[in-house]
Amino acid sequence: MNEQIIWIVLKRLRIPFFVIIITFAISILGLVLIPGTTDHGKPYQMTFFDAFYFVSYMASTIGFGEAPYAFNYHQRMWVSFAIYFTVIGWFYGIGAIVSLIQDEGLRRALNLNAFKKQVENLHEPFYIILGYNSITKTIINKINGVDYRAVVLDKSPQKIEELVLENFYPHVPASVGDATNQQMLKMSGIHQKNCKGVISLFENDMVNANIATVCMLLNRKIDIIIKATLPEQVTHFKKMGLKHVQNPFDIISKRIYFGITSPHIWLLEMWMYGHILKLKGRDRFPDGKYIIYGSGRMGQAIAAGLKKANVEYILKDFDSKQYIKEKESTIFGDAEDMQKLIDLGVKESASIIAATKNDILNLTILNTAKQLNPNIFTMARENSLDDLNIFKAAKINKIYVVEKILADATYNFISRPLVDLFIHEARKQNEEWAEVIVNILNNITGMNPKYFETQLNDENAYALSLEFNKGGEITLANLRRSRENKNEMLQIVFLLLKRGDEVYLMPDSQMHLQLNDKLLIVADDDTYEDFEYIINNIYELNYVLDKEDTNNILGFWGKHGKTKT
Amino acid sequence: MNMYKIISGLFFTLAMTLNFGFFYGDPTQLIEHSAYELFAAIIVNLIATVLKLGDRTQLGAVLLATSLVADIQLIASATVWAFAEYVAKNIGVEATTAIVSLSGGALLANSVSVILFIGDTIKSKR
Repeated sequence: MNEQIIWIVLKRLRIPFFVIIITFAISILGLVLIPGTTDHGKPYQMTFFDAFYFVSYMASTIGFGEAPYAFNYHQRMWVSFAIYFTVIGWFYGIGAIVSLIQDEGLRRALNLNAFKKQVENLHEPFYIILGYNSITKTIINKINGVDYRAVVLDKSPQKIEELVLENFYPHVPASVGDATNQQMLKMSGIHQKNCKGVISLFENDMVNANIATVCMLLNRKIDIIIKATLPEQVTHFKKMGLKHVQNPFDIISKRIYFGITSPHIWLLEMWMYGHILKLKGRDRFPDGKYIIYGSGRMGQAIAAGLKKANVEYILKDFDSKQYIKEKESTIFGDAEDMQKLIDLGVKESASIIAATKNDILNLTILNTAKQLNPNIFTMARENSLDDLNIFKAAKINKIYVVEKILADATYNFISRPLVDLFIHEARKQNEEWAEVIVNILNNITGMNPKYFETQLNDENAYALSLEFNKGGEITLANLRRSRENKNEMLQIVFLLLKRGDEVYLMPDSQMHLQLNDKLLIVADDDTYEDFEYIINNIYELNYVLDKEDTNNILGFWGKHGKTKT
Repeated sequence: MNMYKIISGLFFTLAMTLNFGFFYGDPTQLIEHSAYELFAAIIVNLIATVLKLGDRTQLGAVLLATSLVADIQLIASATVWAFAEYVAKNIGVEATTAIVSLSGGALLANSVSVILFIGDTIKSKR
């Protein structure tokens, strides 16, 4: 226990103890001094032990009766005074001790102490997550225990209680505390060596800016992942030197831009987020005029994307709060609203995007538009994950869940850095390139391949790193052979290679590998397992490299069954 | 002048003097040691202990420790007395010396705490 807590407790116990001691002392002394009478009528004096024994059970209201002999009236008069005296003292004392245990301040101190201990005991790398909500919950679910651990700070005790009820495994230390408070950030381990970074995705940009500044000052080495929705904020953060700024609206805008101009780049990105690697008809963005309903942060971001893509669009100003105030309803679609949509040209438009802050309004706007033009392509902004089912049931073509996009992007940045990099690089390429890549992937690895990230070092690729240290030259083509039969190819694609700061997109198969190269690999589970065998097991590696292991001491035993073929 | 200092000083000293009063006398003769004085010494010592609770200074911690020692010794002394009288039903010389010497130990602890208290007072500049 923390020193601080002991002192709080001791200081608070002073008066209760004092009261108990005084009341007991006076009652005991009185009983000793008053002469009593034995059964036989002889006078006797109570000893201190008798008196102490009697008072102890009297004060605690246990009441075993009068001892050692029945009391005479002198004694009873004193005892009737002493009963009230000691019982009140006792109750006060016990009450004070119990209330101390329940004391909010003490409990907070105890909780904080436990939190600090838990953070100190984290030995894996961890992220400090500020604010607990459905976004950060998704992130915790994905990273906790797999790649990293998580520490959570939130202002509201209810949120922390929710987190505790979630029962994350491994345990997520969480505490109530202000995220902008340096003391709290320090307690969350921002100075610890294994702290990888801070994630701050608050709704309010100002809060995020505040946190970023504090965190930068506290520890320059960590990653600060921050949300910013306004372009000015983004530039401000970039100037501060923050590597990763999350802007969900920007992500949506880019997706729409690529979806229109180069669907295969869009497909590659979406595949990284779990989409099947095949462009379906309903994924294609239609040609024609777009209507953006709502010109908030998201509306403007989308407009920018559409402008870049040279698509005709109308940005309709719409204040959801004012609408709700005026009409006293969140249902869009009375005659006036319909007329507005018709004026905007909904009947001739190819697509409508509902981008207001209110989910129900978004839904009803799209429904009304569909009534007017059944062929229109609908896209909706969905703010909260809670409404997902309603949106799915409404058959909207594309749903942009701001929270989910934010969570996924953050997860990718933390745990799938190469995927993040790949998306970034792919966006610089053109549509033909992307189509070729998608075709290659489909041909080699099928319609729904998985991707893996690995670094060629001692830990992940033992055999390879041995070979590198011996000066062996290995190309990607060497590693692409099957360990069953080296003349066959593994169904595996190397999408990206990262060496230091250099990035090779679709690396050449004759490229020589080096220690600590990072690879983004596409394959199915079994094939990837084979690949892992090859890079970790000396004999498998020697087999695919076409090397007889004669210079190996273990060569005799190492004659692999397969090498004899 | 600090009221808290007066009261705590009073109790620390009173604890020592009462203890001395009980301790003084022939250690084999129980008649020379008053049970009332022992009772008073225990109560005053307990109060002195409570007064020392919650003092965060280094000195406060040492004072609390010595006070706890005195409490333990005195309560042990009273326990031996009660045990000899009611359970063994015989207060021999051995029990008497034990009672008195236990309180002697407590006296030593009390003296240490009083010395520390005086030292602290001398050190302070007011």
